[in-house]
Amino acid sequence: MTFDLGQVALIGIGYLLLLFGIAWITERGWIPESVTSHPITYILSLGIFASAWAFYGVIDLAFQYGYGALAYYLGTGALFLFAPVALAPLAELARRHQVHSLADLLVFRYHSHSVGALTTLCMLCGILPLLALQIQAIADTMHILTVSGNPSLPLETGLTFKDIMALCYCAILAFFTISFGANRDQHRGLVTAMAFESLLKVCALCAVGLVSVYGVFDGLDGLDQWLLDHPENLALLHTPIHTDSAHTLLLVFVATAVTMPHIFHLGLAENPLMRNSHTVTWAFPLFLLLMALPIFPILWAGTELSVPLPPQYYSLGVPILFDSPGLTLLAFLGGLSAATGAMVIISLALATMVMNHWLLPSLKLRTRTDLYSQLIWLRRIIIAAIFAGGYVFYWVLDNRFSLAHLAMTAFIETLQFLPGTFAIVFWSKGNKRGLIAGLSVGTSIWALGLLLPILTGIEHLHLPLGNINIPVGIEYWNHVTLISLGLNTFFFVVISLLTRQTDDEQYSAEVCAADELSHPVRQALDVHSASEFKHRLAKPLGKVTASREVDIALQELNLTIDERRPYALRRLRDQIEGNLSSLMGIHVASEIMDKYIPHVTAETQSTVDINLIENRLSQYRDHLTGMAAELNTLRLYHRKTLEELPMAVCSLGRDMEVLMWNRAMASLTQIPTEDVTGSYLEDIPEPWCSLLIDFSQSKEPHFYRREIELNNRPHWISLHKANIEGPITAGVYDQVMLLEDVTETQLLEQELVHSERLASVGRLAAGVAHEIGNPITGIACLAQNLKYDSSDPKEVLETAEQILSQTDRVGRIVQSLVSFSHAGHASKTEFEAVSIRDCANEAIHLLSLQKEKNQVLFCNDIPKTAIIAGDAQRMIQVFINLLSNARDASPEQGRVMLESNEDEDSVTVSVTDEGHGIPPELIERILEPFFTTKEPGEGTGLGLAMVYSIIEDHSGHMDIISPADPVHNRGAQFVITLPRHLDAFMDA
Amino acid sequence: MNNQRLVILLLLIAYIFSPTLFNWIINPEGAWYRPYIVWILVIAIAFAMQLRRKKYNDLD
Repeated sequence: MTFDLGQVALIGIGYLLLLFGIAWITERGWIPESVTSHPITYILSLGIFASAWAFYGVIDLAFQYGYGALAYYLGTGALFLFAPVALAPLAELARRHQVHSLADLLVFRYHSHSVGALTTLCMLCGILPLLALQIQAIADTMHILTVSGNPSLPLETGLTFKDIMALCYCAILAFFTISFGANRDQHRGLVTAMAFESLLKVCALCAVGLVSVYGVFDGLDGLDQWLLDHPENLALLHTPIHTDSAHTLLLVFVATAVTMPHIFHLGLAENPLMRNSHTVTWAFPLFLLLMALPIFPILWAGTELSVPLPPQYYSLGVPILFDSPGLTLLAFLGGLSAATGAMVIISLALATMVMNHWLLPSLKLRTRTDLYSQLIWLRRIIIAAIFAGGYVFYWVLDNRFSLAHLAMTAFIETLQFLPGTFAIVFWSKGNKRGLIAGLSVGTSIWALGLLLPILTGIEHLHLPLGNINIPVGIEYWNHVTLISLGLNTFFFVVISLLTRQTDDEQYSAEVCAADELSHPVRQALDVHSASEFKHRLAKPLGKVTASREVDIALQELNLTIDERRPYALRRLRDQIEGNLSSLMGIHVASEIMDKYIPHVTAETQSTVDINLIENRLSQYRDHLTGMAAELNTLRLYHRKTLEELPMAVCSLGRDMEVLMWNRAMASLTQIPTEDVTGSYLEDIPEPWCSLLIDFSQSKEPHFYRREIELNNRPHWISLHKANIEGPITAGVYDQVMLLEDVTETQLLEQELVHSERLASVGRLAAGVAHEIGNPITGIACLAQNLKYDSSDPKEVLETAEQILSQTDRVGRIVQSLVSFSHAGHASKTEFEAVSIRDCANEAIHLLSLQKEKNQVLFCNDIPKTAIIAGDAQRMIQVFINLLSNARDASPEQGRVMLESNEDEDSVTVSVTDEGHGIPPELIERILEPFFTTKEPGEGTGLGLAMVYSIIEDHSGHMDIISPADPVHNRGAQFVITLPRHLDAFMDA
Repeated sequence: MNNQRLVILLLLIAYIFSPTLFNWIINPEGAWYRPYIVWILVIAIAFAMQLRRKKYNDLD
C-alpha cells in the first residue's frame, strides 16, 4: 500500500493548518473558555512530553529492554504523582518571577549570567539530537508511506529524497511556528493546540494497539495463547530487566519533566494546574498509562506479522500490513503530530533561552524605535535558526542511529541539570561555582562519551596519559550516565561547600528555598509614585515601551497611576520586573531594574515585610501541614481577634509604614484598610495624618482627648501606644496604637456641666429673689403712701410714679426669677393632657395685646391632635417666651411659623421665624440665664433659660437650628420634643 | 512545609528498592499486563487522595 506523494504532502500541510488553526481560533476566543481552560486541556497539553520517540522509538526500547521501556513513563509519572512536592514549588517560583525556562530559573536562583549562558549551551547541545530525532521520524515515516511499495527504509546514505521531504516539512513548520509562536502572548492558543495534538496521538496509538490485540491476535485470549506458543517473547520482556541498565533508565527519565525545555515550557511555566490542583497527580499518569498500554501488543503484533521494518516503526508497520489505509493514515498522523508538537515547543523554548541568555545581554537594543517588534523579529530569526540547526544535525547523522539512541543521548544530557535544579528548592547552599563546575564536568563527559562518537563515529578515546583506550559510544550509555551524573553531583556539592555564596545569591537561594517564608526582608525603594516608574524606565526601554509596561503592570495589580504606597510600589516593581523578564529574560530584566529602580539598602537593619509574609501565607495555606498548619491557624485566629476588636488599632513599622489597620480603625477614620495598608503615615488623609504622626513621634504613651474636626464637627480622640520589638533585630521597635473615640463622653460631660451651672444659677436666683423681694415690697408700699400723703402732689406724684414703675419692673424680674427657680418643682403626677395648639393660641392672643411691639403674622399650623402630658400654664409660658423672641427678631409683617409632627410617643413642635438668626458663636450661650442680646431693660435673659428648664421638667428637649433657611441664611428655629399624652393617644 | 525532606527520603528509598519491587511486579508467572494493573491502582489511590483533599478543603 503506497500513498501518493501529493496525498502525503496534502495531509501534512492540512494537519499543520488544522493545528495552527486551532491555536488561532482559540486566541480569537472562538472556542469557549470552558474548553480551553478545562483541566483536561492542560493535562493533554502536558502530553507534549510524548514526542515522536514515545510514538515510535519506545517500541524499539521495549524490544531492547523489555519492561525496562516502561521506565520512560514511570519515571515521569512518578514525578507527576508527587507533583505537589516535587514540581509545585518550581511552578510557583516560575509563576511568581515570570520564569519561562530552566535557564531563567537557574539564573534567578544562582544569580549569575554565566550560569544562563552555560545552561543554554548545554541545553542546545543536548536538545539537538532530540530535534534530529523528530525530523528523522518524519522523514522515515513519509518515506515508508510514499516511496516504498513494500514498507522498508532506504539503504543509501547522503541526501536522499526523504531528506528533501523532511526539509520541506521542517521549512513549512518553521514558517508556521514563526508566524504564530513568536509573539509571547499567544499561550492559550498554543496550549489548546498542543492538547489537540496529544489527543490525536494517544487515540492513534491506542487504535493501533487495539487493532494489534483484536485484529492480529483475536483478543486477549489469543494474545495469551500466542505468548505461550512463543515463550521467547515473554523472556524478552523479563530478561533485560535483571541488568543494571533498567535501573539507570529510570534515572535517565525521572528528570525529564523538569529539565526538558519543552516540558518545562508547557508544564511548569504555562500551566496553572501544577500550582493549585492535585488533578495532575493522577490524570497525567493516566495519560501516560494510555500511551504505554499499547506498546507491547504492537511489538508482538509486529513480530507476528514479520513487519519488514525496524521495531521502532512497528506502530506504522502493523496498520500497513494489516492492510487498513484509514488506520495507517491515523497512525501516520499520530506520529506526525507527536513530532510536530515537540518541535514547535522545543524551538520556542530554546529560542527564548538563546535570546535571553546569549543575545539580549550582549546586544544593545535601540530603544527609540519599537522594542516589541525588535524582540519579535529577533525571536523569529532564532526560531528559524534552531529549525535549521536541528535539520543540519539530522543530516550530519545521516540515519546511522535509531530513534532510541538519539533520545538517550538527549535525555542523558538534560539529566545533567538535575543536581542544579534539585538545589533550587531543596538545597540553599548550592552555589553558582558548584553548578558551573558540575555542569561543565557532566556535560564534557557526556559530549566525549556520546555526542562526539555519534557525530564522528569514533569508538575509542585515546588517553595520552598511561596510553589507555577508553571505549565510548552509545553502547556504553549506561556507564556514561552514571559517571557523568556522579561526577557532576560530586563537583557541584564539593565546590558549593568549599566556596562562598555572594549576598545576592544567598538572598535568591532563600527566596527559592521551600521555607522561604522565614524572613522576606522589606527593602525600601527610592521611587515615590507609579508615574516615576515610567520616567525612570524611559531611558532603558524608550518612552512608549516604558509607559506601556508600567500601565500593564498597574492593571494586573489593580492599582492606579496615583499609587504612592511603598508596599504597592514594591509589588509594582516586582510585577514590572516579572513582565520584563518574560519579554527579555530574567537577567536583562533584573539588570534594568537594579540599575534604574534599585532597592535602597536602608541604613538600619531592614524591616521584615509583614504584608508580604501574610500575603504568601494566605497563598500557601493549602500547602501547610502539621505544626506549620496549626501555627497558621493560630495566626489567623489572632489576626481575626485584632481585626474584629471593637477598638481602633493600627500598627506602624519603624519607617512609619502602616502594617495593620483594623476594621474599627477603618470605620473610625473612614479610610478603608486596603487603601492604607502598606502606605507611609504621611500619605494618609488629614486630620489623621498629623494626629498620628504627632503621636507616634511623641515620647508620651498616651494622648488624652485630642480635638479634631471631622465632617465640620468637633471630635475628641484619645490615643494610646506601645512598642513592639521587631521580629528580626532586638532593639528595633514597631509601634502599635489604639484610638478611642470619646466624642460622646465629651459631649455628655459638657451637657452635665451646663445643667449643673443652670441648676446653681437657679438656686442663686431663688435666694436673690427672696432677698430682693422683701425690700422691694417695702419700697413699693412707701411709694404708695408717698403718693397719697403728699401736699404738693404734682411733683411728688411724678416721683412716686417713677418709683412705682421701677419697682414694678424689679418686681417683674423677681417674679420671673422665682418662677425660674421653682421650675423644677412641679410634680409630674399633676400633669394632664394639654393641647399644644390651644396653648400656642393663648400665647398668640396675649402677645397681640402688646400693640407697641413689631406686628408679625403668627401661623399656627399645629394640629389639634398634638396633645402632650404637661402643665398648661407653663406651656403657655414657653410659647410666650419663644413667640415674643421670634417676634422681636422678625422684621415688620414677618411670619412666624408654628408646626408640629407626631410619632408614637412624642410630639415635636417647631417655631420658626424669618429674622436675622442666631450667630453660631452665641448658640451655645443663649440658654444661659441672664444672657441676652436685647437692649438693657428690654429683656431679662431669663426667658429661654426658663423655657429650657420647663421643657426639661416635661422630660422633653429643645434643639436650636440657625439659620433655619440656609439658602437665604436667615431665621432661627426652635424645635421642642415633648412626650405625648398616652391616654389621648389611645383615644385618638 | 518542612516535611518535604522526608518525602525526598521516601523517594530515595523507593528508588533504591525499586528493583525488588520491579522484580515482584514483573514476575514471569503473572500476566504480561501486571505492571499496568499496579499502575492503575496507583492512579486510583492518587485520585482518591485528591477527592479526600477536595472534601477536606470544602469543609474548611
